[in-house]
Amino acid sequence: MGTYSEPLRTQSLGLYVHVPLCDGKCRYCGFYSEPAANHDLDRLVSALISELDRYPADTPVQTVYLGGGSPTSLPVGSLARLLEAVASRWPGAREFTVECNPGQTDARILTVLRRFGVNRLSFGVQSFHAQELLLLGRRHTADDAVSAIRLAQESGFENIGLDLIFAIPGSTPDAWHQNLHRAVALNVQHISAYSLTVEPGTPLLQAVQAGELDAIDEDTDRAMYEMAIDCLASAGFVQYEISNFAREGFACLHNQGYWDNRSYIGIGPSASSYDGGSRTTNIADIRQYVRRIEAGQSPADESERLNDEDRVCQTAVLNLRTRKGVDLAAFQATTGADFAEVFASPLERHRRLGLLEIEGGRVRLAREALGIADSVLCDFSSF
Amino acid sequence: MDTRYIRNFSIVAHIDHGKSTLADRMLELTGTITSRDAKEQLLDDMDIERERGITIKASAVTMHYRYNGQTYMLNLIDTPGHVDFHYEVSRALAACEGALLVVDASQGVEAQTVANAYLAVETGVEIMGVINKIDLPAAQPEVVAEEMEHVLGIRRKECFRISAKTGAGVKDLLDAICELLPGPEDRSAETTKALVFDSHADQYRGVVCYVRVFSGKLRVRQKIRLMHSGRSYLVTELGQFRPAMVPVEELGTGEVGYIVANIRNLADVTIGDTVTDDANPADAPLKSYQPPMQMVFSDFYPGDNTEYSKLRAAFEKLALNDASFSFSPQNSPALGFGFRCGFLGLLHMEIIQERLERENDLDIVQTAPTVTYEVVMSDGRVKRIESPSELPDRTLIRELREPFVRLEIITSTESIGGIMKLAEARRCKLIKTDYLNPTRVMMEYKGPLAEIVYDFYDQIKGISRGYATMDYELTGFEATHLVKIDILVNGQPVDALSIIVHRDHAEQRGRKLVTKLKKSIPRHQFEIPLQVAIGGKIIARETVKAFRKDVTAKLYGGDVTRKMKVLKKQKEGKKRMKSIGSVQIPQKAFMSVLDTSD
Ligand SMILES: Nc1nc2c(ncn2[C@@H]2O[C@H](COP(=O)(O)OP(=O)(O)OP(=O)(O)O)[C@@H](O)[C@H]2O)c(=O)[nH]1
Ligand code: SF4
Ligand SMILES: [Mg+2]
Repeated sequence: MGTYSEPLRTQSLGLYVHVPLCDGKCRYCGFYSEPAANHDLDRLVSALISELDRYPADTPVQTVYLGGGSPTSLPVGSLARLLEAVASRWPGAREFTVECNPGQTDARILTVLRRFGVNRLSFGVQSFHAQELLLLGRRHTADDAVSAIRLAQESGFENIGLDLIFAIPGSTPDAWHQNLHRAVALNVQHISAYSLTVEPGTPLLQAVQAGELDAIDEDTDRAMYEMAIDCLASAGFVQYEISNFAREGFACLHNQGYWDNRSYIGIGPSASSYDGGSRTTNIADIRQYVRRIEAGQSPADESERLNDEDRVCQTAVLNLRTRKGVDLAAFQATTGADFAEVFASPLERHRRLGLLEIEGGRVRLAREALGIADSVLCDFSSF
Repeated sequence: MDTRYIRNFSIVAHIDHGKSTLADRMLELTGTITSRDAKEQLLDDMDIERERGITIKASAVTMHYRYNGQTYMLNLIDTPGHVDFHYEVSRALAACEGALLVVDASQGVEAQTVANAYLAVETGVEIMGVINKIDLPAAQPEVVAEEMEHVLGIRRKECFRISAKTGAGVKDLLDAICELLPGPEDRSAETTKALVFDSHADQYRGVVCYVRVFSGKLRVRQKIRLMHSGRSYLVTELGQFRPAMVPVEELGTGEVGYIVANIRNLADVTIGDTVTDDANPADAPLKSYQPPMQMVFSDFYPGDNTEYSKLRAAFEKLALNDASFSFSPQNSPALGFGFRCGFLGLLHMEIIQERLERENDLDIVQTAPTVTYEVVMSDGRVKRIESPSELPDRTLIRELREPFVRLEIITSTESIGGIMKLAEARRCKLIKTDYLNPTRVMMEYKGPLAEIVYDFYDQIKGISRGYATMDYELTGFEATHLVKIDILVNGQPVDALSIIVHRDHAEQRGRKLVTKLKKSIPRHQFEIPLQVAIGGKIIARETVKAFRKDVTAKLYGGDVTRKMKVLKKQKEGKKRMKSIGSVQIPQKAFMSVLDTSD
């Protein structure tokens, strides 16, 4: 239980609670999740709450993110118990997000969410095209998504985000354009637009390898990405990270914490924590997780102690994903390293190629570099 | 020791015909090693020899053997079979009176068998024919004996039939060595003359010289002189290889052993030099060898420019133990500081490169190997160049000459057609063919070294399904119509990618080259135009397209550890590449310029 014995002294923290449950498995999904039906959900929620209990009440939690899986796969009662546990411990959290599955989000759930102070919802919409949803193996329709979001708005939620996926096999720039417009038309505050990653071990990968599906070519993928940036910008969404867009003032604070490389606590099976010195990941298995918690043992499965180089490089890579980029003064203050000095050579190389911009004490990816960010960021992954 | 009871012999053969294994058996039968210390190919003691299962460096060993009531001293030198290391064989033979010419009973006479037999004849040593591996089911000792008689003039009845693996016939062979090979001439009354036939640098003892005493004797505390360098040294230790170094008080006429004399620098010792007594020096040195001839040259650059001095130190260390490669500082406009290195052949080059990297934790970027060219300038001066980038401007050249070789290929009759076609495409001229027997033929060609030194052997192996073997020997430089192909990467000429080829093949090679290059340069963040120029005229172009997408869509807290690993790997992948402007050129691109396959 070494990781808990040292109190977290950071100024502000993010709290992530992972609910590894889904009502089925999407074909592209590489996350850890299990069918809700197979588990004693009350016991799981109790275990999550006792893991929360291991942190002192004065832990300065600023943001809470309840994700998954689909937290909405929990029975309302269990969900309420979990929300209550969080809300009662950290009533002052500025942002409290819950991921919602469009097919599972009804009035009852929304009421419970509101009751316990949830102030931000994130809907996994992915696409408004039926054949794309089918190909992805989503178990909801476009109409489900539209009505769930409307209902949430009617219930008083004023900070709603949705996720979209582009470059789905068989998709076209036109189809993607329609998705963007329908998303904007829903009057949400936040849109995440992810290029489809074909993860190893997924049915989608098998289908691509078997030649049943044609992966979207690089040029089209890039064109769709550029389209998202332009289209969302003209609709008033500011891009603040490679895949994230928000109306002014609605960037996700919790996720911003990751890119600032601030500390966070991860609760639940497969969740990760970072205390500024180590990254720890819980075991990715519901039964073993519950057993360990009940036995008073650590649920941690892996822990990686970061040396100075790791910390400096991780901060650089994470900062550079954002549109505000690296704040050179803040970087020096938090990592103790002079960014321009330790990364002098990649900085110069990519600047010369027009892929990095240096301005006003900040370094950020040029627009041209967003679609090929990894080819730049990899040079900041070690000294 | 009485010279009548000394036998000095080398074991020579085509690669893999079982020289080192035969040496193992002899070491055992003479009780030089106990079976407890025995391991296969015991004399192959370098790591790289053991890994590759080949002998690279000749090793000497002294054994004692009872025959006919007498104790004989047998000095055996195991030699490498690979063509790159021929000079090791000539050195070894010069220290001997006899040679065992070993031939694999299942393979028969091969190209290096013939080459080594010639060497033995030239050196004037007595040759004993040995047919090995008779235990193999595919062994055809009688057919092989016939070949040996026909090609090498060794009487079939006089060939020994042995199995170095099982030991069958090896004792008879030892007896015959005592019985048939001549002993050294007795010149013990004359002043000291010993031939330095090899050397190595020892961390504690300094340079250890391997010597064969031809007259007089060597004693500990004797003041000796190396006749070539003129320097004198005091002998601090003498000894024999048994096979470990065992000190003795003196080495008499005809004996083989080593000298330690506080010689610090390997460069102070020339292989082939004569050791004599400083107070009573010999009038004339023993006949020396030709220094080893470097056949191919390549530039080595540190993958990371800041590691230049580390690379230099690595070369210096290696040179202590291998005097047969050369290195000199080099500065390429495109690649920065590095070294021009000369090698005996491609295997030698590969081995040096591997040892440099492995023993020094270095990343090396190496340019395609090239042969030496002779340039006759318009003012009549002749200059040698070891890199296409050194070729002077065309207008200053009167004539360009390239090295030619006499090439010997032994193959099966079915593959004659294919090999002839290849040889012709490679500008080789058939001099003669000679049937070893109805199914095997030996072809002699004359051709340019540049056409055969890189992939020719692999090609004939392919054509003959592994059957053909070849050997070559430099004959001299001849004028041919050569031109230089230049490559421009991203508009910038890259000297290290230039090659020199025959005019008639230039356009075709240039076009092939640029497609190969296109495949071996990874896509970058931007488009990279590649152009091929001959005599300043662009004859072909290709473009390495930019990649359009390389980004991780999601990176949140739980993804950091894994993603950082992936990014680091991506960065690692750029190692062993050389930056030219903003283009990263990988090692394989430099080598791809030689790839003539389709
Ligand atoms: N069956 C059989 N195999 C043998 C015999 N002699 C050697 N070999 C095998 O042949 C292979 C080559 O043997 P080496 O002794 O390394 O040959 P070499 O001539 O020293 O080779 P290089 O030094 O590389 O030229 C090894 O796998 C040996 O085990 C033999 O008499 N019978
Ligand atoms: S809902 Fe999310 S976590 Fe669950 S299977 Fe689908 S993609 Fe994976
Ligand atoms: Mg050998």
